[in-house]
Amino acid sequence: MHSRSHTRFVIALALLVGAVGAPAAQDVSLPNQPDSLKFAIIGDSGTGSSSQYKVAEQLIAARAKFPYEFVLMMGDNLYSGNGPKDYQKKFEEPYKALLDSGLKFYAALGNHDNTDERNYKPFNMGGQRYYTFKPKNGVRVFALDSNYMDQPQLQWLEKELTASGSDWKIAFFHHPLYSSGGTHGSDFQLRAQLEPMFLKHGVDAVFSGHEHFYERIKPQKGIYYFTSGGAAKLRDGDVKKTDLTAKSFDAGYHFMLIEITKDTMYFQAISDQGKVVDSGALTRFSDQEKKKLATPSS
Amino acid sequence: MRVFTRVTHTILFLVLTVAWPHAYAAQKPAANPDAQVLQDFKARVDKYVELRNKADNDAPPMKKTDDSVALRSAQQGLAERIGAARTPAKQGDIFTPEITARFRKLLRPEVNEPGTKATIKDDNPGAIPFKVNGPYPSKEPLSTVPPNVLASLPPLPKDIEYRFVSKHLILRDARANLIIDYIPNALS
Repeated sequence: MHSRSHTRFVIALALLVGAVGAPAAQDVSLPNQPDSLKFAIIGDSGTGSSSQYKVAEQLIAARAKFPYEFVLMMGDNLYSGNGPKDYQKKFEEPYKALLDSGLKFYAALGNHDNTDERNYKPFNMGGQRYYTFKPKNGVRVFALDSNYMDQPQLQWLEKELTASGSDWKIAFFHHPLYSSGGTHGSDFQLRAQLEPMFLKHGVDAVFSGHEHFYERIKPQKGIYYFTSGGAAKLRDGDVKKTDLTAKSFDAGYHFMLIEITKDTMYFQAISDQGKVVDSGALTRFSDQEKKKLATPSS
Repeated sequence: MRVFTRVTHTILFLVLTVAWPHAYAAQKPAANPDAQVLQDFKARVDKYVELRNKADNDAPPMKKTDDSVALRSAQQGLAERIGAARTPAKQGDIFTPEITARFRKLLRPEVNEPGTKATIKDDNPGAIPFKVNGPYPSKEPLSTVPPNVLASLPPLPKDIEYRFVSKHLILRDARANLIIDYIPNALS
């Protein structure tokens, strides 16, 4: 009798621990097609705080339902130092399960990152501040260093965009060109340099961080913009909704999941509570539509 | 008589051909002083890069690694070798008074562009202690340098960059995380 009640108690305890320890249930509802490109996005993640670990748990849990192939990091990958302990506490430990499984992370540099992070192999930057890779036929990704947009980088980008024959051109970097953030807002100088090039070469989607919240911007001249800088830092209530905002979330931490198949990009933004805070399907603008949208109306 | 005239013309032609460029050169104003100042800046930066390359060659090349301890010690090692080779380095070694004056002139119209000061201020670490030949404080953020400001300043070799710390413009070696020199109150 004593033994039976003891067993019941142990089972109840185990269930309770399981319920508390496991991340909250997620509603991952992307198409999850076999031939699509699947990836995740985290921004401003490197604090080493419990919030980072909580989002990391959600990110790990999501992969069981949605087997994303890599993670893009929007910068501020290591806050307050980049010593060995920082790499450990702010990257290697929270994402251990993903790293152990062989999943690749691709980082962009933020204003809190030391340039030397480009030599850290698990960030897959190839020793460069800016780089490009082709995860799948028809998709090319461009990682930029928005902290220091000098002429060599702009020339490199022009050359790489010209050479890219990919249908989907995706750029990611730290500072958002469009943002409704009260603390930072849109980076107009950067926009003046990058947007004409993006329009000329038909960039489709742009992901950034820096702002510690989630924001999906209404398409600008045929380009989709997302800000995702809340994977460990939060500026509660910082979105000052403007005409730019399609959807925002500044009441909790989050990460993103993306799926690209043919001309459609599916996305979900998921909070640290496992709640879907935004989702949808966006159709890539055709070259003709982009040209029309890029030309100012007379 | 005709022969004499021909000889005279030939001599006159030769004299003019040889003498004219010298006379022109003597009258030509001195080279653009601004260009000379920027040339001097380039020469000083190139000299630093030469010194860094030597310091770099004195150790195994910095490779991409997943060993963060190796990354940190490689960067610190390079900074120490450069620091030792530059001793005594002081403010003004690269930013001489003439170069500083030229830089202020170049910066002024750019920082007055709408939004530029705000961008610089946005990620600026503020008034933090730093020194020439010392490391950029590793716990501090790096100020974003707006593209219009970068376009107005002389180009730099790879891994040498301009940054702002409070109102000071610093020249930073990104590979060694070392402060090479700075212009005090460049934004004032």
